[in-house]
Amino acid sequence: MFVCVCFRCESCVEMLFVRGSGNCVQCNTPLRKSNFRVQLFEDPAIDKEVEIRKKVLKIYNKREFDFSTLKEYNDYLEQVEDIVFNLTNNIDVERTKQMMEQYQRDNKDIIQRNKAKLTREQEELEELLLQDHQDSEQRRLETLQEEQRHLQAKRINKQALLDELEISKLPAAVLLAQHKDRASQLETQIEKQKQNVKPANIFSTGIMMGQTVSLASVSRVEEVLYVYQLLCIDTYGPPVLELDQLGRLGYLNHVRTASPQDQAGGYTSGLACHRAIQDAFSGLFPS
Amino acid sequence: MIPKLCYFLKLLVFIILNNLILKLKLNIDGLLVYFPYDYIYPEQYSYMLELKRTLDAKGHGVLEMPSGTGKTISLLSLIVAYQKAYPLEVTKLVYCSRTVPEIEKVFNIIYIFITHCIINSYFKIAFQIHFSSVKYLSFLALRFGKEVDGKCHSLTASYIRAQHHSNPSQPVCQFYEEFDAVGRQVPIPPGIYNLDDLKDFGRRKGWCPYFLARYAILHANIVVYSYHYLLDPKIADLVSKELAKKSVVVFDEAHNIDNVCIDSMSVNITRRTLDRCQTNVETLQNTISRIKETDAAKLREEYSRLVEGLKEANVARETDMYLSNPVLPDEILQEAVPGSIRTAEHFVGFMKRFLEYLKARLRIHHVVQESAPQFLKDIYEKVCIDRKPLRFCAERLRSLLRTLEIADIADFSAITLISHFATLVSTYSKGFTIIIEPFEDRTPTIANPVLHFSCMDPSIAIKPVFGRFQSVIITSGTLSPLDIYPRILDFRPVTVASFTMTLARTCLCPLIVGRGNDQVAMTSKFETREDFAVIRNYGNLLLEMSAIVPDGIVAFFTSYIYMENIVASWYEQGILENIQRNKLIFIETQDAAETSMALEKYQEACENGRGAILLSVARGKVSEGIDFVHHYGRAVIMFGVPYVYTQSRILKARLEYLRDQFQIRENDFLTFDAMRHAAQCVGRAIRGKTDYGLMIFADKRYARADKRGKLPRWIQEHLTDGSLNLTIDETVQLGKHFLRQMAQPFRQEDQLGLSLLTLEQLQSEDMLQKIAQIAQQA
Repeated sequence: MFVCVCFRCESCVEMLFVRGSGNCVQCNTPLRKSNFRVQLFEDPAIDKEVEIRKKVLKIYNKREFDFSTLKEYNDYLEQVEDIVFNLTNNIDVERTKQMMEQYQRDNKDIIQRNKAKLTREQEELEELLLQDHQDSEQRRLETLQEEQRHLQAKRINKQALLDELEISKLPAAVLLAQHKDRASQLETQIEKQKQNVKPANIFSTGIMMGQTVSLASVSRVEEVLYVYQLLCIDTYGPPVLELDQLGRLGYLNHVRTASPQDQAGGYTSGLACHRAIQDAFSGLFPS
Repeated sequence: MIPKLCYFLKLLVFIILNNLILKLKLNIDGLLVYFPYDYIYPEQYSYMLELKRTLDAKGHGVLEMPSGTGKTISLLSLIVAYQKAYPLEVTKLVYCSRTVPEIEKVFNIIYIFITHCIINSYFKIAFQIHFSSVKYLSFLALRFGKEVDGKCHSLTASYIRAQHHSNPSQPVCQFYEEFDAVGRQVPIPPGIYNLDDLKDFGRRKGWCPYFLARYAILHANIVVYSYHYLLDPKIADLVSKELAKKSVVVFDEAHNIDNVCIDSMSVNITRRTLDRCQTNVETLQNTISRIKETDAAKLREEYSRLVEGLKEANVARETDMYLSNPVLPDEILQEAVPGSIRTAEHFVGFMKRFLEYLKARLRIHHVVQESAPQFLKDIYEKVCIDRKPLRFCAERLRSLLRTLEIADIADFSAITLISHFATLVSTYSKGFTIIIEPFEDRTPTIANPVLHFSCMDPSIAIKPVFGRFQSVIITSGTLSPLDIYPRILDFRPVTVASFTMTLARTCLCPLIVGRGNDQVAMTSKFETREDFAVIRNYGNLLLEMSAIVPDGIVAFFTSYIYMENIVASWYEQGILENIQRNKLIFIETQDAAETSMALEKYQEACENGRGAILLSVARGKVSEGIDFVHHYGRAVIMFGVPYVYTQSRILKARLEYLRDQFQIRENDFLTFDAMRHAAQCVGRAIRGKTDYGLMIFADKRYARADKRGKLPRWIQEHLTDGSLNLTIDETVQLGKHFLRQMAQPFRQEDQLGLSLLTLEQLQSEDMLQKIAQIAQQA
């Protein structure tokens, strides 16, 4: 299942695998030359471990939300760690491998599903980073432009002054035309720079090209539906008058009548009166 | 006992001199304030008014008042009075200053203050300065702070003490045992304790002064210590965690507070750190395998604790000062450690991978700059390290070190640093940047890879302080422009004010010299700084000034390299020789011992003969904490504008961040930074109202409005249009005139009523009106 993780120098690799494949001289595993990698870390053991870890994580790719409690997830993480540890240090290799195969068979679906999810998350992350980068670039250019504009304004002033001074010698139109030319050139240059920032590999929906879009439906959330219950407040005293009673009993005579402007928004003087009466009753008789 | 005796004598003299009479009783906005002098400066009164308003509003304040006008005494008398009047509103004053000499200065003021004003024993006051030096009591033989810490820890750690119970031959610290037994129950007598007093007290009682100090902080009314005890998350957790919310925190000399904040959160990792870390990891591994054979139960116990997600109980936390975690969100601390680093072996493997990854990153040949999310992504791809276990790294290492009972923690600083880095990089996605440089800028041929994990946002470190305490006062002699501090530190002050100095005579004379006698512009601009004409003109300026200024002259350059270049070419041109006919020359170097020697001799030379010149560097040691009172500094010359080295990548990243997040333009910040250092330098000469001095800005760029406008108000006021773009000759003329005028006798009576007030004068109506104008709200 695993490619052998023995180490040798580049020239030895060239010599041993002239035909592109062969058996490892140390552990007799069949190998391909193309599978050899350049050592990345100082400690070869780390290289080996990372290699193994990547393989293990391909199978053990459950995420935190696949577990109901944090503790289970942590136990799972530790189990993964144990497997990697065993494989790296050659402890119980056979049994561990068996265990892994067993796990792979049992959790085929979850592994597949998480794999897709993982790539999508990676892409999202990348997109975010790219976005960040673009934003900062954009800002940089904007400030640059701003500065450029300031400089230009200065230059225009200077130019105008010069023109006035030289007006007797040269037709001012020529000078102005030249100046305009230069200014427009500058403008286009900035514009061009701005164009470069905009990414070309984005669809109009904002989705990156070459990115896989998951077509799986969103999983349904099973929950108890909310049921409205009438709010009942006991004031421990005489019952509070209802809204429709206020007018009949003449309470509304004591509040300001609503003007047409007020009523346009749905306000009635009964509302304020009702609120005031509720306020007055609540807390009047402590329980 | 001699210092003790001296102190009592001093006290006695004070008491006799002052006949036990309280000096001034002021009514500040309805609050009775005792002031320990006969007279008060109008700006002090105004300062106290503003301060009182800030405390009333329970908010933060930014206050700028020139040095030498009695900031500290005003602060102390008002806050102490407030504490006394409203003991429930304000319980404690935490006074933070930057350097040891400054802290000692505050002390002396407190001595005066307390001996004059507080006769009753209401106040119990404890101070401590530097913990590590307190520890010296028991281990005088050890040289390095780290060793002291390690030794101390090996005697006082909780498990050592537990072992001592079962096995009395295990050595423990007698001082600590004694303190632990009785020290907490017995109250410390009210009084003022500085470092020596505390040591003395500890020696007499047989208590460990270090733990005594840590304990006393909680009960003291006034605590004076260094910034780092509050700002550095690694120390603050230990020292200042239990300070009451109702404390007033004062940051004095706070013009550099943003840099302190940034330094406290940044991590630099070199190849050497990683190599030392490698040995640390190996030691850990060996210890684990040894313990596994002898005492597997211990590891199992730790394991089960981590499984349960129990935070380590607070028992004996006091002595186990391994590594407090950098500021972490609370929810993380409540959670259980992730399963992948739960067992000791797995964690060591994890650290190994992390270490190898860092090593691989440092093996580059070009500069890399990336954000924290990019780093996390890369580390996941390369070595499969997730974000979550990284966040727990510091916590987990701490637990492991404790379980392994490694007594000597001094060696483990490298791995500690790495673990802090891991936690920080995975916790903060914004406000930090990672820069990997394969070599230093100055030596591009020598490979010396460094990973800078640099904090760009000072508000991250100071945020807990602003959030925690009800009033935080930021004050200094130079805080202009005032509005920039609330912006970069991200807080909302209730008062922002700048105070001017009321003067009976104009005792400061700022002059901007823009040209030499040959009309060549003088500037330290990069393009022209090597120009011979500029260097010669700078030399001529110093030469001319050395002829007319009595006693001491202090000259500041923009950098050490620039100073070396200039001095070398002065020597070649013979200018140095001419200057030496007038005065002796001393030079500040990067070596601290050499510099303090030069400083001592400079002062000696100022006392005798024709005086001396001290050549030093802005941002250096001299510019930050050394005062040149009276004849030690009659003139300060600032050669050039002290811009920070702008090619540094860390600075560039920070500027970019400031621009993006706070809308502060690069140039604005650079100018602000340069001007605050220039103001700090020239402010060294004026340390009081009877003091006087020339301030010469030798660069034509100072005359521009954007530079001039960023000087503190008390300097700007005296910059007239006539002194903006002078030649050397004109400067000499103006200087001569000024010095002659100032050298006339100046008595206290001249000041009275103008810049020095008695109580009656203070109460007069028009004076109060005048005072109201002193404070300028920003």
